[in-house]
Amino acid sequence: MQSRLRLRRRSFATTLGILLGVVTGIGAASWSVAGAQQASTEPQDVFDVTHLPPLLTTADESIDLAYDVHCAAAEDESGDAGCDAHGTVFVRPIGSASFAALPLVSRVGGGVRQLAVVVPDSFRGTRGIEYYAELAASPIGRRVTLPAGGAAAPHVSRPLLDSVSVDLARHIFGSTGRDGSRVAFASWGDGAGQAGLEHGRNLGPIGASAFDVDRGGSVFLLDQVNRRVLRWDDGSKLASAVPVSVNGTLADMSVADDGSIYVLETTAAPGRRPLVRRFDDGGRELVAVEAAERTPSQIRIENAGPVVLGRPSHHWMPMVVNGVPASQEQQLEHGRPGRRFGGGMEVVAARRGNEVRVAVIASRAVTRSWRVTSATPLAEVQLAEPWGQRLVVVARVYDDTADEFVVLVLGRNGLVDRFALDSADWAEASALGRFKLVGPSLYRLGSSPSGVFVDRYDLEVR
Amino acid sequence: MMTPPRLAAGFALAFVLAFAGTATAYHTRFVADNCNYAVPTSTSYITRDGSAAVALRARHEGYQWAGGCWNDNDRDDAPSDPHEDPYTGGEGGDCSGFTFKVWREALDTGDAGFRQWGLLRFVHGPYTASAFRAGAGAPNVTAPKWGLVKMDAFASDGHIGLIYAVNPDGSDQIIEAKGEAYGTNIWTRTYRGSSSYSGVRRIGWSS
Repeated sequence: MQSRLRLRRRSFATTLGILLGVVTGIGAASWSVAGAQQASTEPQDVFDVTHLPPLLTTADESIDLAYDVHCAAAEDESGDAGCDAHGTVFVRPIGSASFAALPLVSRVGGGVRQLAVVVPDSFRGTRGIEYYAELAASPIGRRVTLPAGGAAAPHVSRPLLDSVSVDLARHIFGSTGRDGSRVAFASWGDGAGQAGLEHGRNLGPIGASAFDVDRGGSVFLLDQVNRRVLRWDDGSKLASAVPVSVNGTLADMSVADDGSIYVLETTAAPGRRPLVRRFDDGGRELVAVEAAERTPSQIRIENAGPVVLGRPSHHWMPMVVNGVPASQEQQLEHGRPGRRFGGGMEVVAARRGNEVRVAVIASRAVTRSWRVTSATPLAEVQLAEPWGQRLVVVARVYDDTADEFVVLVLGRNGLVDRFALDSADWAEASALGRFKLVGPSLYRLGSSPSGVFVDRYDLEVR
Repeated sequence: MMTPPRLAAGFALAFVLAFAGTATAYHTRFVADNCNYAVPTSTSYITRDGSAAVALRARHEGYQWAGGCWNDNDRDDAPSDPHEDPYTGGEGGDCSGFTFKVWREALDTGDAGFRQWGLLRFVHGPYTASAFRAGAGAPNVTAPKWGLVKMDAFASDGHIGLIYAVNPDGSDQIIEAKGEAYGTNIWTRTYRGSSSYSGVRRIGWSS
């Protein structure tokens, strides 16, 4: 009798629990749906500005500052009518204290509406100019400062007065001649020592999006799909795994001298910017800092800590200021167009048409520079870093059916060494993270249908 | 006296199932609840600026394979839809549907004219990324990659993205519907140099 009563009580408890759970569950889900539906579904005003800063100019080029302005009122769903935008550029010669205001004038360039101004030569001097722009669309009440750091971190345009010319002529594809040594390999998969592949029917293969190499020769591969970092110590064929709590999408990564692993994600929660996450060498997350701009694309380590290349400013911004994580405002106010290396040296690289321009900056002036021209189209500059007194540049050459990377070692008088590498980019990775330079060794992240690998190429001095 | 463990277990199980079931139903009803099949507006005047604005309104919205309907609230209203399922009814376009709508093309592949589709008009269009890559359809042509400008596209056999801006280092800012985990947004990409990608251009811009 007692056992029957106990059974009945248990059944009643279970039924009541299920009933309450169903009611609460549906209520909670409906509440979350209602919350989502409260957001505006109508078209919003559009106001966005892009600008390609002329980082390095030649003496015969004018400094033409053009801002593509995308502006549309909410009721103009086609966006073709545009809206009344206006703006001012504030310019000063490098070294000058005050900015002069130059009004921007409307024009159409490259098929889009622009606000633009040609900077008078009187501003240029021998060191170049600093500038920032304030733009507004009065009809929709929107304003933007570009770069967002304004006067504290302006754009910089420097003249190349005495650059060394290097002519690559026409590139012959398929003539790669430098043998590398494979220092890391992982087949695609989710098992031990493998790297995960994100692959959908409407998505190309994406996997192992970033890598780095420390001074001891250990290779670190970000296996973001499996949320871990694979590590090969120098000479080891077997990788160990460090779990990291990343969000699993394309990301960039750099490893600091103290073993900290910095991951820059490229996707973010609604209304937020991508995060830079710092992990210790065991994978414990130490801190996460939100990047200041919408489209950060690279993370690297400088003496003072990690720096992130932001867009639309195209500035390198510190993620640590005075030893503590930087606020977004601090990131913007400390942005600069070049990457800093030892001895106060800064390197600025830019591709303009079929030409790559590279300058070494010291004391705010160009001390050495190169103009590398090619008869074959040049795409992105993957790497531009000093190697002793030389500079190593890796850029991609392409036509409509082929592409390769050209590795250039530039010296005071021109080209010291040059070789080509196949692009080996079967799987998509972080856009600008395929090469790392550690001392005289250049490392390349590559992939094929069988797996992902890192090859080392020892640079030579002829 | 009732047995608390059984009450709690029953509650937890039912809550999870009810919440998940209701939430899943919501996620897969975005198209049914929000989208329309209105006739597009024909227009003879189309600018790259206008298409950039159309693209920017899709930014931060979701991704849906074979989809083509989104609002402008800067969030994916159908997050984490199952991958590789074109029938989940989630928010967003896929890469080729997004491009079709931003380039304001017609369903008739022989028609190079312009059609303004509303954000909430569900339409994918007749082209895959591979078809765009081949320059299929009257409005689309292949073009050398080195000469491509804003609102032209890079297309592979599996993906297509539109040029939003060129970066000083020679990479591009691409606006694209990338995938369910990515949504629709602007990212730095190196499609220009990659031999997996070809250049594609929509013809007939007014300026």
